[in-house]
Amino acid sequence: MLQSGLVKYLRDGKGFEGTLIVAAVLYLLVFAAFPLIYTVVMSFQEVDMFTLGTLVRPFAGLTNYTDLFHRPEFAPIVWNTMIFVTLSIAFQLTIGFALALFFLQDFPGSTYVRGLFLAGWILPALVVGAVWRWIFAGDFGVLNYALQSLGLIDGQIYWLSDPAYALYSVIIANIWLGIPFNMILLSVGLAGIPGDVYEAAEMDGANVIQRFLTITLPMMGPTLGAVVALGVIFTLQQFDLVAALTQGGPANASNVAQYWSWQMSFQTYEISGGATVATMMIALVIVVAVIYVRSVQREQSF
Amino acid sequence: MNQIEIEHLNKNYGSLQALHDISLDIPVGAFVALVGPSGCGKSTLLRTIAGLETITSGTIRVAGEVVNDKAPRERDLAMVFQSYALYPHMTVEQNMSYSLRLRRRPKAEIDERVGEAARILGLEKLLKRRPKQLSGGQRQRVAMGRAIVRKPKVFLFDEPLSNLDAALRVQMRSEIRKLHKNLGATSVYVTHDQIEAMTMADLIVVLHDGRIEQIGRPLDLYRRPANRFVAGFIGSPAMNFVPAEVTADGRTIAIGTGTLLKIPRAQEPGRKVLAGLRPEHLRLDGSGERLTATVDIIEGTGSMTFIEARIGSDLLNVAYAGTYETEAGAPLTLGIASDDIYLFDPETGRAL
Repeated sequence: MLQSGLVKYLRDGKGFEGTLIVAAVLYLLVFAAFPLIYTVVMSFQEVDMFTLGTLVRPFAGLTNYTDLFHRPEFAPIVWNTMIFVTLSIAFQLTIGFALALFFLQDFPGSTYVRGLFLAGWILPALVVGAVWRWIFAGDFGVLNYALQSLGLIDGQIYWLSDPAYALYSVIIANIWLGIPFNMILLSVGLAGIPGDVYEAAEMDGANVIQRFLTITLPMMGPTLGAVVALGVIFTLQQFDLVAALTQGGPANASNVAQYWSWQMSFQTYEISGGATVATMMIALVIVVAVIYVRSVQREQSF
Repeated sequence: MNQIEIEHLNKNYGSLQALHDISLDIPVGAFVALVGPSGCGKSTLLRTIAGLETITSGTIRVAGEVVNDKAPRERDLAMVFQSYALYPHMTVEQNMSYSLRLRRRPKAEIDERVGEAARILGLEKLLKRRPKQLSGGQRQRVAMGRAIVRKPKVFLFDEPLSNLDAALRVQMRSEIRKLHKNLGATSVYVTHDQIEAMTMADLIVVLHDGRIEQIGRPLDLYRRPANRFVAGFIGSPAMNFVPAEVTADGRTIAIGTGTLLKIPRAQEPGRKVLAGLRPEHLRLDGSGERLTATVDIIEGTGSMTFIEARIGSDLLNVAYAGTYETEAGAPLTLGIASDDIYLFDPETGRAL
């Protein structure tokens, strides 16, 4: 009797909703909140191989942070990360926006071609990395071959092992990987602008450039904000491409914060150092996430 | 002088022809209504004038100048859209000043013209609001204001009142009319509502299936419809059509079970015709040409009484100004003046 009552409560009553919420919250606590907080805690502790198994470790204050700032590779890696994020997003966004505008024009097959663009997005980043490794290969890579055939370069460029090029090679691959995502999100935003608003602007005397600047751009503002915020978050967690292409080398020339954090945590076992880098990135991502949420709210206000 | 001249305009969408050989002159300062059922091409015609649709063949002149290949922004026409098409990211003030800002008019002039339009339309207190914060009627006014500030040669209206409720629609109808009187700019007004067209326009163009059925002043269309379509479209409630035959002397027609009605002009004896009788012309006192019917349905609204009456197998709608009490199944003697009987060719629909 009691048992069937419980089943009934779970199936038909408030118990069903409660169960769903508890399941979701439990999942988040175990797989998101705990690792996140644990990482933050570790960044304030002395963690070494001997204390790895315990939760209670000597409190280190801000020493992990000051140590990190004094490392010689700190400044170059921060700088690399900034370049990586800025260039990736700048090009993903402009190329993605241009393509979204292009596919908005109604030409035969536009929807199919736009669909093909998504193919790049569904590939795993490791696979994309492997493909780009071949493209960038110094001796037999197709990029060098193309540039030489066009007469643009004489010798070979060692895209992945030359410190002058390594970071930019990773950025190029990452831009390619991110374009479809940007294009689709921006396409959705563009499709949301009613056609008669453009017609009204045309009647009011706006030429095509004025229509873009005074109608399209401002009305896309919230979408652009959301896409940039998501772009920053995705770019800051772009680990696979770095791993597949350069592993941060040569000599940290293409190393970025997210890869550095992994290197310290799981290659050199400077676990508190890795946690410290991760904690600083969490802080940055939270700021960006707030901007994203604000942006989405503004999107709904039109 | 004509503000807009359209000659032999055709518009095709692939194999579908949306407009057939449209020729139309719109005099300077006129208020012209393009009216017809949905899908008749009235909006398409307006959009070709605006330049938002290309034309397949023919000529459109605005102020004597051929504008066929001109972009909408080069034609100096202002348009009020059915959906209003306000710029959602701009305030009311910015919406109205947009065209002037594009033309780089001095700030003082922009403020003055926007202020004037806002005053005319009663929008002064709403200037800082966004379209989303406005009611339907207020949005409609902003759309009008956006057109007014430009002081254009021509106003184009694409069913501007169809999204408003009935009361507001009646109010805006007279406001637009007043506005037209004060501004004096030529207006082309698209509507599917014949009452809107009748009450507002100087000139009505009735369109059907992409063709002009008739052009005329509102009462001319009512009194002398060129064909069955116009006769049925203009006037509310719609005209009754009853099959009839001209009798041997050519001076009367026989309807229903042999009721004879004298017709205004003699017709060819024995000819099959369609008799058109307006509901408001059918009198309940039986004066004039007499018809005997039975009451099917009676609806009284106080000021008006609508009766659906039956003569043989034909139904007649009667509109009587006043109250009249009877019941379904009761006999009814109707009368109509001979001059109020319209005759149409049953095949071509042309008025005889």
